[in-house]
Amino acid sequence: MAKMIDRLVLKYRILRIEKLQAKQEFLGNYRDIQVSRQNNKLLLANSRIEEAHQEKLRDFALRAGIMTKYIEQEINTLILKAETKYYWKKRALNQIMIRKAKTNKLDESQLEIIRNKKQIFLDDMLALQKQKITASFKEKAKDPEQPVALYENNSLLLDTFYEKKTQLVKDKYATKISKIETTKNHQLERIAKNIKTHKDLIAKLTKDMPKSDNGLPEDVILRLDKLTMRFGGLVAVDNLTFDVKKGEIFGLIGPNGAGKTTVFNCITKFYNPPSGCMYFRKNPVEVILLNEYPVHTIVKQGIVRTFQNVELIWELSVMDNLLVAAHSLFQTGFFGQLIHSRKLRQEEAVLRTKATGILAMLGLLPYQFGIPFGLPYGILKKIELARTLMVNPKMIILDEPAAGLNESETVELAKIIRKIRKEYNTTIFLVEHDMGLVMDVCDTICAISFGKQIAIGSPKEIQNNKIVRDAYLGEE
Amino acid sequence: MRKLTNFMKQQSKQFASVVKHPYFGFILFGLILLFTLYLRGMGLVTISIINAIVMTMIYSIIALGFSLLLGYGGLASLGTAGFVGLGSFIMGYFSGVLDYPLIYTLGISFVAAIVVGLVVGFISLRIEGMYLAIITLGLGEILRAFFISYDKFTGGYSGRQFRDFTLFGNAVSTEAVYIIITVLFVLAMIATLNIIKSPTGRALLAMKNSDSAAQSMGISLLKYRLLAFVISTVFAILAGMLYIMYIKFSYAPDWNLSFSLNILAAVIVGGAQSIAGIILGVFTIFGLNLAVLNYIPFFQNNSALMVIFNGVLIIVVVMFYPGGLIRLLQTLKYKIIFAFRKLKMKWKVYKYGKDD
Repeated sequence: MAKMIDRLVLKYRILRIEKLQAKQEFLGNYRDIQVSRQNNKLLLANSRIEEAHQEKLRDFALRAGIMTKYIEQEINTLILKAETKYYWKKRALNQIMIRKAKTNKLDESQLEIIRNKKQIFLDDMLALQKQKITASFKEKAKDPEQPVALYENNSLLLDTFYEKKTQLVKDKYATKISKIETTKNHQLERIAKNIKTHKDLIAKLTKDMPKSDNGLPEDVILRLDKLTMRFGGLVAVDNLTFDVKKGEIFGLIGPNGAGKTTVFNCITKFYNPPSGCMYFRKNPVEVILLNEYPVHTIVKQGIVRTFQNVELIWELSVMDNLLVAAHSLFQTGFFGQLIHSRKLRQEEAVLRTKATGILAMLGLLPYQFGIPFGLPYGILKKIELARTLMVNPKMIILDEPAAGLNESETVELAKIIRKIRKEYNTTIFLVEHDMGLVMDVCDTICAISFGKQIAIGSPKEIQNNKIVRDAYLGEE
Repeated sequence: MRKLTNFMKQQSKQFASVVKHPYFGFILFGLILLFTLYLRGMGLVTISIINAIVMTMIYSIIALGFSLLLGYGGLASLGTAGFVGLGSFIMGYFSGVLDYPLIYTLGISFVAAIVVGLVVGFISLRIEGMYLAIITLGLGEILRAFFISYDKFTGGYSGRQFRDFTLFGNAVSTEAVYIIITVLFVLAMIATLNIIKSPTGRALLAMKNSDSAAQSMGISLLKYRLLAFVISTVFAILAGMLYIMYIKFSYAPDWNLSFSLNILAAVIVGGAQSIAGIILGVFTIFGLNLAVLNYIPFFQNNSALMVIFNGVLIIVVVMFYPGGLIRLLQTLKYKIIFAFRKLKMKWKVYKYGKDD
């Protein structure tokens, strides 16, 4: 009885730690977002102050009758405007002349006279306008006595004022940012403390308990132990046993119908294997038996998968597809969603920034707001990959990632797989037909045929293995 | 002058942020509907238009819940009429006959909605598509038979009369009921929008597109199917309560298959995934003959043609615009914009000549 209670307490504490860690991540990310928002606001405020400053300087310069660069620019833009207007009028005149020539059937000489008249009129207008523009700026100079001294005096004053104002705004936003950081850091500290106490208690509880790692060595993340899967009389997977080490790229190969995808479906619990065990190292101390978990909770344990034929949500944009993938990370309840509570919006902001980061890494940013329908196959495969990265996976299962890709896309895929392994610190487990990719990318390869393991080892060993060759090419 | 323009710019930005808020359109629509009631008080609007508006609002609430099922969850249900009837009779019996306070009636109706929703949801786990429609149809018919035979609760063939709706001991006038319905209608639209734009709505769409992808991303089919059915049932029962509050009469044999099919037709004709489309669809199916066709002399003389007109409209829309009336309006809008642009280009070429 006491043991039972201990186990329950242990489970509760582990759950609590998971929740707290999720909260920790959320708070940290949200703090960063808030700080960046404040920084953006600061930039905006600064640009506004700068604008106002320039405007005042311009006014003073005008009053002093000084042509600063700013004013010259303004005059130039006005003149340019007048010139473009002139250009269009000229074109309209041309058209009118052409039409007149068609309808009135005038002589060319007569037409030329009319044209010249109007042309001269337009030219005069342009010259007049230019004059007016420059004159209007000079007219505004109201204080001709001591203009330069006044301007200098005023501009000095304005400069000091400008500096003061920028400093003030800077201070304001600095205090805001520090306030955000202190509150959030305080909360984070509290959560860290909580996690630590929970961990200590767990350590205390597990001291007397037997180790629950099912004899899994430290560096192994997934172990299949005599896995068997039957469909009626057909044995799709037969007593399959192998280990996947932490942080490696593991390839599963075999001829068509060898049962590769069935193995994946067993691991992700789309099928319930009748016998055999699947152990998964959820975190350094805890090893779970995957057989006990239903399909939709597998992603929470840290295993995500892709599909052989791309299974995206065609009615949602690419960004929303990634948000669906992050479904298990949302913590807001249904009623929070019903009123679009503040917490939901914050969570969404955090996940959206995360998704943009991932999309930027995979070069998918141009597609983010469109629906995936009609995009090229290589892009769709990449979107599926991006989807797996949303949930901080410990292991990514790729079902034929290179199927339907051309050669250059496959080479790029190999690069991306390596990059993901490196940046996200995950294990990658893939099924593939493209031997080039498998041999290039994998650290360990397991070859199966008719559900049975025939060889396991490094790519070179597999290449030189006679049984594998026989299975692929047929016996001589 | 510069300062003034800057000030105007800032103001227009703020105004744009208010206008672009997703709730703005709904609240504006609600205010317009309330304004029509004011016009009715002045005698500018006939009672049949008010009736058409109320019917559209009540049935829109049902259709909004139904669209979550069909447009988002991909689950077809034909038991809607039974749920609406259940709502109306709960209101009519507990509030009208037994004189329970409103809170109790609301509590009872919500419990009933959740129970019925869960039952249908559990059924839907095993069955999909057409077969689910047949099963829910059977459920709706069972409810109808129950209404007819259990006349203590529903009044049977004589129907359930409902006296004036009372709130805190005071009888509420028809105008006040209109206001209540409008407010609830706007709230229902906002709630639907929030659900669509939240993880729940996305999960429903994921479920509709691919079961296996949804499951691999941590979406529990059980939870979200049940949720979809419970939401739609809650909406339907709420609409039933509003129905009996306004009409003051509910007749058991009315809650039959044709009503469910009409709701289905409304959602499909309007556009299953757009809130504006659903309201448009409900108006074309239920409100059009009350509000528009009644005033056309041709239809006044041949009233049977009204129904035929509705049917033809449904056929035409479903055949040529599978996205619904709202898609038709959108394409029309884009076509007009394109036509304007083309006209502008032509005028430019006429006036200035072709570019070099």
